[in-house]
Amino acid sequence: METQETALPHTMGPTGIAQMKRVISAYTMDLLHWAYIGLVSYKIIYQKVIMDMRDPDFSWNEPVFALAIGAIIALGLFFTKFSVGRAVKGLYDLDENKSIMKEPFTLLGYFTIFLTFIAGLFISQVSLREFFSQAGMLGAKRIFTALFNPNFGIIEPAIFAAIETIYMAFIATVTALPFAFLLGFFAARNLMSSSPILFFIYNATRFFLNITRSIEPLVWAIIFSVWVGIGPFAGMLALCLHSVSSLAKLYSEQIENISEGPIEAMTATGAHPIQVIWFGVVPQIVLPYLSFTIYRWDINVRMATVIGLVGGGGIGTLLMQYQGLAKWNEVGLLAITIAVIVWVMDYSSSKIRESIK
Amino acid sequence: MTTQTQPILSVEKLNKVYPNGTHALKGVSFDVKKGEFLVVIGLSGSGKSTLLRCINRLHEPTTGSILFEGKDITNIKGSPLRTLRSRIGMIFQHFNLIPRKTVLTNVLTGTLSRTGIVSSIFGIFPEEDKKKALSLIELVGLTGKENRRADNLSGGQQQRVAIARALMQDPSILLADEPVASLDPATSHSVMQYLKKVNEELGVTILCNLHFLSLVRQYATRVIALKDGKLIYEGSPSEIDENWFQTIYGEDAVEVTID
Repeated sequence: METQETALPHTMGPTGIAQMKRVISAYTMDLLHWAYIGLVSYKIIYQKVIMDMRDPDFSWNEPVFALAIGAIIALGLFFTKFSVGRAVKGLYDLDENKSIMKEPFTLLGYFTIFLTFIAGLFISQVSLREFFSQAGMLGAKRIFTALFNPNFGIIEPAIFAAIETIYMAFIATVTALPFAFLLGFFAARNLMSSSPILFFIYNATRFFLNITRSIEPLVWAIIFSVWVGIGPFAGMLALCLHSVSSLAKLYSEQIENISEGPIEAMTATGAHPIQVIWFGVVPQIVLPYLSFTIYRWDINVRMATVIGLVGGGGIGTLLMQYQGLAKWNEVGLLAITIAVIVWVMDYSSSKIRESIK
Repeated sequence: MTTQTQPILSVEKLNKVYPNGTHALKGVSFDVKKGEFLVVIGLSGSGKSTLLRCINRLHEPTTGSILFEGKDITNIKGSPLRTLRSRIGMIFQHFNLIPRKTVLTNVLTGTLSRTGIVSSIFGIFPEEDKKKALSLIELVGLTGKENRRADNLSGGQQQRVAIARALMQDPSILLADEPVASLDPATSHSVMQYLKKVNEELGVTILCNLHFLSLVRQYATRVIALKDGKLIYEGSPSEIDENWFQTIYGEDAVEVTID
């Protein structure tokens, strides 16, 4: 009996704390939401659109003031139906038969999206006038005429550059493979949550993967071109690093989705943990891995083209050179070459992936 | 004489509380005698699967103790635990075979605990193990299918592969967790017949979870029943009458037979 009584408050505790956490994050969400509405309305809708100011003054007091206003409005509206945070965190007791589409918080959400859209139009300087202007149309005509009259005289260097791009992408994918394969296991929650040490490794791996993946290969290419010099090697390194983190993420998700049954069965035979992974996990993930890897090669070929633009070698670099000289007929040929490579890679990679399903 | 009376497995005051607070087993105690076909019955969620998984420590018991062949195995870890598991075979409701691998490879995985890590990864198994695997495949009536992919077989055939895999371990006891729950009635009987054969001809003790009382009456030498994690019945299958049935399965339950 005694164990029962002491167990009760213990089970009540976490749910109370969880509820607290939900309320706090709901309120924080509301606060930031209102601060955003306030700031956008003032800085863009009022100053730019209504007052038509070119360079309105900015001071750090403005966002701070917006946060303060946000805090007050969020507090005032937290217990009404206008709290988006409460809706997101599931703190409303809603009638299940009624659509949430007409609830006040949903309307407020629509308003924010609308506001963002208007602000976005002004920030991106969308201008139909420039799009259809006389000079603009002439420029467009000039470049399109050149692009549709490609200069086949440079077909040889174009093909060589394309080959460089494809091989660079292939080497980047293959080099990334073993690293991604290993990291995939470390980043799989179901394999790594059994002990605190493993869980720490899991979190560290996830952190590393998220950081490297969130930086675009283009940026990595710039970094590596300073490191190892401009050329295909820098591009290869950039693609490789990005492929490791993207593939490891995909791999780990695949591991997290496998059936537990074979793992359990292998554990029950008395197999060593490494054998459990080799026999219980690996056969379930081989084909999806292969499919992801081929897809990644396909992506890498496309990215290698872009990376060439910043000196990563291959067809992108060639494109950049001709573009710098404003030789649009040559650019046209390169554009066609790129389109053909991308189409062929896309088609063959999807065919291969279909056939190994 | 003492080995005759000494139970192969004894479970004492076993408690299992899951991290989410579910109290799956409440002070369960019972013995398994050498050579018997002991069946565990009870509703879904009564703790049958948890009980089996505590015995080979796929789940960790919270309190209580488990004695296997006279040794306390409740807290062993690492290599001794793997050796223990190799002495206990297990078959599962969903067969849990390795997909995309052949029947032979699947049966050979029963030897993993005594095969080196590196050689098993390269698929190198001793010749005598391969011979033994083939003879076990014959025992479960699957000769000629040893190079077929295991996941292309029918449910009943897959379960027979799983039995062969478990026998590959040379187990002194075989745990069977709802071995026929995802099979049709005819196949169920065939699989149960194989388990009976393993029990009677090879002398492997069997501890088996079952749903259908008709199967229990036909195959069990002794029965225990669990309800809400407590052991509420222990006796021979013939003694389960209408009253016991309703105690075990609830007032509204109607017995369904499987023939």
